Amino acid sequence: MFHSVSFLRIIKTGLVNFTRNLWLSAAATMVMTITLVIFSTLFLLFAITSFSLQSIQNTVDISVYFKIGLAEEKIQALEQDIQSNPKVKEVKYTSAEQAFQNFKDKHASDPLITQSLNELTENPLPATLNIKANTLEDYPAIASQLQDAKYQEVVDKINFEDNRVVIERLNRILKFIVSFGVGLVAVFSLIAILVIFNTITLTIYNRREEVEIMRLVGATNWYIRGPFLTESFLYAISATVLCSLIFLPVFVKVLPKVAAYVNPQVNLFNQNIFNFWYLVLILLALSLFLATSSTLLAIRKYLKI
Amino acid sequence: MIKFENVSKQYNKSKALDGINLEIHHGEFISLVGLSGAGKTTLMKLLIGEEGIDGGRILIDDIDISKVKKSDMPFLRRKIGMVFQDIKLLPKRTAFENVAFAMEVCGHRKEKIYEDVPKILELVGLMHKRDDFPHQMSGGERQRVAIARALAHRPVLLLADEPTGNLDEVNANEVIDLLLKINQLGTTVVLATHAADLVNKVKKRVITIENGRITLEQEKGRYKL
Repeated sequence: MFHSVSFLRIIKTGLVNFTRNLWLSAAATMVMTITLVIFSTLFLLFAITSFSLQSIQNTVDISVYFKIGLAEEKIQALEQDIQSNPKVKEVKYTSAEQAFQNFKDKHASDPLITQSLNELTENPLPATLNIKANTLEDYPAIASQLQDAKYQEVVDKINFEDNRVVIERLNRILKFIVSFGVGLVAVFSLIAILVIFNTITLTIYNRREEVEIMRLVGATNWYIRGPFLTESFLYAISATVLCSLIFLPVFVKVLPKVAAYVNPQVNLFNQNIFNFWYLVLILLALSLFLATSSTLLAIRKYLKI
Repeated sequence: MIKFENVSKQYNKSKALDGINLEIHHGEFISLVGLSGAGKTTLMKLLIGEEGIDGGRILIDDIDISKVKKSDMPFLRRKIGMVFQDIKLLPKRTAFENVAFAMEVCGHRKEKIYEDVPKILELVGLMHKRDDFPHQMSGGERQRVAIARALAHRPVLLLADEPTGNLDEVNANEVIDLLLKINQLGTTVVLATHAADLVNKVKKRVITIENGRITLEQEKGRYKL
């Protein structure tokens, strides 16, 4: 009971500090909010860009079309060759029969196609090999390996769609967002720390008599520090709430459209990184970190205990 | 109860206290006299741990206070009440609230505060002023509120540093009478002052400090420099 009474009094004093200098509190909250908004914007840009990059990267692969009527052993020999290449991540073989079956299943509802398929005496489709590399840079090497003369008798065609130009551009954007973003967030974090530092210093100055008496009558150190920390936590929480309110419409209205544009097959909201509460949590952690560090600095410098 | 053993303290190479040996017993009333800057205030600051000791040691009930952890210092201060020449009341709080403040910040429950504070105000004779703000009271009354606040934790020792320094004779006498009364009730009192007539009136143990050294100790003494 002893502790909960003290705890409530600390919270109460912190609240009083927060409301007593309303304009100062508003300024501190605003600077913190601006920092959080900048952070959130960059965070979202980063998330969308990296999501796009991922989507495009997943579409990149090499398709090898084999000549029709080849013996399975020859295909398997090539498959093993490819698989032994350390740059290859995954190889997926589709036999000619399988390809034919897939094609039939896909068009089962179309009577015209079904009918014409039935009239075929032999399978017109080739066996294929789908190859995925570990990294994008590995694709050209694998493609050139496949163009080797010893494969010419089995390979009919190699299909390698080179998206690397787009991907590199996205990568550059991503790198820019990260470096520019880290810089911008750092600058504004510093401003936020300075403003909160000043606000808390002013509160300490305004309450210097009270603090002196508290010490003399034997208040514990944390009882004296507590209200200043509470005050800065209130700045952090208010800023988080404000910033979240600004970004909630973005999440609800804008993001689904962006996601549909980038990749219609994947629901953006299933991805952790796009979860709204995830962002709120990050914002809260960031703002509490800024508030705590600046307050501890102010306390260290100006609060004599 | 309190023992100073060869205690010294320096501020930027000037000696504030130099080889102080002093023993204060339970229930004593000690007048600490000397000119301004003689070391009276420093001696009190050392006792409540506000300043560190440069040499020797201070024992309170056999506890060496330089060995008390910083985080435990507040609990030592609750056992030692202190009043000052500049009184240090909170101007925006009433007499009652000023006394209650001392109990609040130490985590006492509201019920306990409402039970204890009126008793303390009664003791210092200011129950009728409980809802007055400091600016509505006389200097003597303010100092008595400060004494009440110092008593809120039922300290074993009350340090009064020039408590009458800003008061006229009538008010000063009121304060001294109150200190004597508190002493009679069992609290040890150390009164630092340079008001000769008050010391002569008290007629208790007098310790004279000059330039950071104890130069005279008298039982039932008079002010002498």
